[in-house]
Amino acid sequence: MPFLKRYLIPRLIAYVLVIWLGITIVFLIPRLTPNDPVMAMIGMMRARGSTLEPGAMDGIIADLTEMYGLQGSWLDQYWAFWGRLFRADFGVSFFNFPTRVNQLIATALPWTLGLLLTTTAISWISGNILGGLAGYFARKGWSRTLDAVAMVVRPQPYYIFAFALLLLLAWVVRWFPVTGGSSLGALPTFTWGYIKDVLWHSFLPALSLSVLGGAVTFQTMKLIVQNVNAESFVQYAKLGGVTEGRIVGKYVIRNALLPQVTGLALGLGQIFSGALITEIVFSYPGLGMLLYNSVIRADYNLIMGITMLSIVGITTAILVVDLTYPLFDPRVRYY
Amino acid sequence: MKVLRDLFRDYRFCFSFGVLVIILILAFLSNFSPYDPTLWNVVPKDTKPSVQYPLGTDSNGQDIFWQATYAVRNSLIISLIAASVSRVIAVLVGMVAGYTRGNTDRILMFVSDGLLVIPLFLILVMLAMMVRQHMSLVVLGLMLSAFGWAWDARVIRSVILSLREREFTQTAILSGTGTLKLVLNEYMPFAMPLVFSTLINNISWAIGLEMTLALLGLVDVNIPTLGTMLNWAIIYQSMFLGRWNWVLTPVVISVLMFIALYWLSVSISEYLDPRTRIQRVGAQ
Amino acid sequence: MEADKKTLSRREFLQGAALAATAMVASACAAPTPEVKEVEVTRIVEVAGTPVVEQVVVTATPPPVVKEEAPAVLGAFPRSETLIARQLTGRVGTPDNMNLWVGWKWQDRGLQNLADEPLWSVDFATGNIINGLADGDPTYNADFTECTVPLREGVAWNDGEPFTAADVVFTVETLMQFDGFGAHTFFVDNVASVTAVDDYTVKFVLNQPNSRFHTTFLDRWGCTRIMPKHIFEKEADPVQFTFNPYVGCGPYKLHSFDPQGFWTAWERREDWDKSPTGIMYGQPQPKYIILQGFDTEGAQILAQLTHQLDVAELSSDGLKALLAQSKTSRAYQPTFPFVVNNDPCITGILFNTARPPFDNVDVRWALILSIEMVEYMSIAVDCTGTVSAIHVPHLGPYPRLYHEPMQDWLKSFTIDVGDGETFAPYDPDVPNRVAAYARSRGYVFPDTPEFLEKAFGLGWYKYAPDIAEKLLVKNGFSKNADGKWLLPDGSPWKISYLCGTILTNHDARNAAAAVQQWKKFGIDAQVLSIADNDGIQATGDFDISGNWPSQEPWGAGPDLYRVLDRWNSAYKKPLGERTNGIYSRWSSDEMDAIIKELRETDPFDTEAVVAVGTKGLQEAVKNMPGVPTYGYIGFVGWDEYYWTNWPGSENAYCQPYTHWPNFKYFTPFLKATGA
Repeated sequence: MPFLKRYLIPRLIAYVLVIWLGITIVFLIPRLTPNDPVMAMIGMMRARGSTLEPGAMDGIIADLTEMYGLQGSWLDQYWAFWGRLFRADFGVSFFNFPTRVNQLIATALPWTLGLLLTTTAISWISGNILGGLAGYFARKGWSRTLDAVAMVVRPQPYYIFAFALLLLLAWVVRWFPVTGGSSLGALPTFTWGYIKDVLWHSFLPALSLSVLGGAVTFQTMKLIVQNVNAESFVQYAKLGGVTEGRIVGKYVIRNALLPQVTGLALGLGQIFSGALITEIVFSYPGLGMLLYNSVIRADYNLIMGITMLSIVGITTAILVVDLTYPLFDPRVRYY
Repeated sequence: MKVLRDLFRDYRFCFSFGVLVIILILAFLSNFSPYDPTLWNVVPKDTKPSVQYPLGTDSNGQDIFWQATYAVRNSLIISLIAASVSRVIAVLVGMVAGYTRGNTDRILMFVSDGLLVIPLFLILVMLAMMVRQHMSLVVLGLMLSAFGWAWDARVIRSVILSLREREFTQTAILSGTGTLKLVLNEYMPFAMPLVFSTLINNISWAIGLEMTLALLGLVDVNIPTLGTMLNWAIIYQSMFLGRWNWVLTPVVISVLMFIALYWLSVSISEYLDPRTRIQRVGAQ
Repeated sequence: MEADKKTLSRREFLQGAALAATAMVASACAAPTPEVKEVEVTRIVEVAGTPVVEQVVVTATPPPVVKEEAPAVLGAFPRSETLIARQLTGRVGTPDNMNLWVGWKWQDRGLQNLADEPLWSVDFATGNIINGLADGDPTYNADFTECTVPLREGVAWNDGEPFTAADVVFTVETLMQFDGFGAHTFFVDNVASVTAVDDYTVKFVLNQPNSRFHTTFLDRWGCTRIMPKHIFEKEADPVQFTFNPYVGCGPYKLHSFDPQGFWTAWERREDWDKSPTGIMYGQPQPKYIILQGFDTEGAQILAQLTHQLDVAELSSDGLKALLAQSKTSRAYQPTFPFVVNNDPCITGILFNTARPPFDNVDVRWALILSIEMVEYMSIAVDCTGTVSAIHVPHLGPYPRLYHEPMQDWLKSFTIDVGDGETFAPYDPDVPNRVAAYARSRGYVFPDTPEFLEKAFGLGWYKYAPDIAEKLLVKNGFSKNADGKWLLPDGSPWKISYLCGTILTNHDARNAAAAVQQWKKFGIDAQVLSIADNDGIQATGDFDISGNWPSQEPWGAGPDLYRVLDRWNSAYKKPLGERTNGIYSRWSSDEMDAIIKELRETDPFDTEAVVAVGTKGLQEAVKNMPGVPTYGYIGFVGWDEYYWTNWPGSENAYCQPYTHWPNFKYFTPFLKATGA
């Protein structure tokens, strides 16, 4: 079939190639920076006040280099890395020696996935629905009010918005906890008590992310819908007596969705980079701080592990979007 | 001038025009500042707004108002460089890819995806570490622009892809319209609202990213920008100590700036698109 | 045991302290109501326009007046019996791995400060050595090749097994056997053999003379700790062993921890009287202690304001914010300057003496003399630090042993300005001027000489820009038409001052202040803040940095070997390679000779040690490879809603930090308020 040969197979090859390219870039760049993991570990131990006898320094450096597997040229390390990769083994983290990278990611991933999947879904769905309706009924009062609210909310710097929420809802009124993903003393179990605790702690981070994300989606969608609204087929439909609800639901919004779907896919793909500022403000666990610390500490293995997830996540999201374009917009053809 | 008069009919345009003029005046005023923005302890610390210090002074011993003029100027420079350079790249890449499809499309998307998949943050931090001593406003702007186009190129490409299949495209091609004319005259009006909204996105994204980098200490904190001013205010716990004049200055300025830019873009793109222009005049 | 006069007096002091402590505990049992400390404070009050000075008694520990609704944060922990402290080192990356002997394991999450007892630790507030698992000082033979350590009897690990010399022998032998341990190289280099003479005595035979060998077991924020033999001997690979739960001889045992690394909870062991802490000081009062990591200071402040945190460690402004908003929090000192000023490090300016023009001592002195110290202290720490002109901080025993005896030498010390002119740079009036400026900022504090000396120091160097100019001109520098300095080769003089990215740390504070001063002087100086810059400094790729200008001593003990040895030329490596000594890469033959002399001096002979130490400090002042400015200050905030009787400055029975190993030693003295 022409579709397969002329589009699908080259597309899949491109998919694999992009992943390979991304991985190689991420392999090279940390090694190109002046930051070196052995030095970073020693520097950190000194900074935290550990006693490192000066006479023993050379021995410590040699030991660390060997433990981290950093002897040998870059090419050796590169082959070793790919060998491990096919066994789904990212090696050992330098900074958190001797914990394995897989374990670190596995502990942090559920928090990031849980928080960001939920907030992306909430902000996208509500933003698009409200934006679509507001765009269609652009002259109505409620539409303008919503637009004004989104207008003021959207440009807030995220840190200030998040911290202000925290101040308001955790201090002025003591409805929510000040920090953490769960209460002190709470250990992860599959009990309703623990889940409730996590939800209570996640409310503020989720709220801050959803509101800001939703405001952006709302405004973009409103703009697009206003343009679609002006198209002649909408006028035809109105003149032809199609009900308003059907026009909005089946014609206008569907047409406006294509760029929004692209945005959703990319947003989902970027979940694996974590939400660093959210984690900082709310002391919330997740991949963001893990990635940040690994970059600062030149923790090569951990960097590779997390960015691998991110790379695969985003490229897959893009692939899915590309393949499903025709579903949303029948005019798009690949052959 | 008729154009301007028509534009001014829209209250949103008036508001945003006014705000932007004020912001530009503020940025220009920085040339007349009596204080060197990189020196500390030039005025008494932590005073409330008064006649002598219109917005009060901060905990570093600088006048907040004059710091703000520098901050606005520097943030504008960074974000304008970042946004404009990345717009140009995004539009070019998106249009070419969407129109020509085939191999060119694939190669361009390959490059853009390559940039998209790597966590931006990782690269920025590492670049910042490598560049450290040469980190100036222009360098920061260019760094941000290199990462701001990939997403929007894809979005523009998706719009072009669907436009390509419409009848008017076939009509134009059949009647002999050249590719360039087709793209510029026919597609641009569809793409313009998107370009403008992404321009706004991009400026606010650039300012937001600059703020994040400032919070993490990756930019030169001695150069006043909206991000570094906010960072200092947070470090000195100005919210807990009730020094709202310090914290709110960069926040209010950036919020006003964004609203102004957004309304500006919306009203201009509505004006440009003939159908919405008619809508505004009230034929609906 | 043969002991000379000095060691006996230390032991006597410790015994006396133990008696006093017991007496305190006994008296505390008799008085169950929480103590309210009252402090007399001088206050300036305006009466009809004219200022009136009055002595007022203020309560330093205000009792909780309004019973606010503190939210039920803790599930399993009764809040009134739990103490929550902030973990200084932040979130734990390896929560389930407590093997302290490999790499970095966030030792202040409760490991070093609650669960572990070292052989000795030091109370930096006084400089006294506290015996932990050891039962006295070690003894060396005449040429320092053998070291015998007596151990305490009656101690048990927190799982019940008795502690004996076999544990110490096992520890050292295991460290020497596996090269994954951090201390491996040190012990292999130094120890020939280690044996248990009997159940409570250990003897080390060393490879070469080392009079400071025992200090590897001295805990002042890290040391070689003792492994429990009965647990580790079962492990084939002790390097990979996660040692969860941690078993130590301290008074607390592990209760639970957060798999995300945010908190670690400890529970008082029932047989607390079998831990050295319990033997020396009595029963620790908090039944549970939780060490919690916070990502931002704002979160810490919020947590303390809502009584979900008892001990916060903040920045200068964070502390101000906390005191402004909380009715029940207090700082270490009840009045200005509020700060904890007895941490035994000196902060300041570090020159890279391997890079011109900082290799020229005249240039270094010129940079010092162009600093106006009052403005410097105001920018850096709002005048809350104690200045010191020599390379040890002004606290503990140092004023008595070094600062005061050296005053005459400092006042008569001169530098050569050129053309036969000399200049005496020392200025004993600096602290008074700093105090006056602090008063003008509105801070109120006592006027007594003792307080002023403790808060502001004894003196620093003069502000003499004209002399600085002469020094520079003498060495070929010149000024251009704009008043900016040019190097001898005619190019503009630019200085990059390297510091970290956390702007409230003292390296960044010193950087900010110094750069401001030098800019005013006419040098194009700027702050360069780079995260994690230890590698850059180690290889010498910097001009000036905010790193410690001299190595900190062993917790304010009189022996300055650790300070001086870092300037040993043996550790210096060429530029581009990582150096093992101090990053200023300075050394001199005179200093090497002094270090050698100190190495051969008995560390327990205080008089001799101080004499050599003084010579070393004088050599350092002459050459100024780093400039000491002010002693490290910390900002601790204590919430007295649930716990009181903290070791504040008016009641300094122990050092105040909860992240230091001495935390366990003040847990028996805390009092629950009953809230």
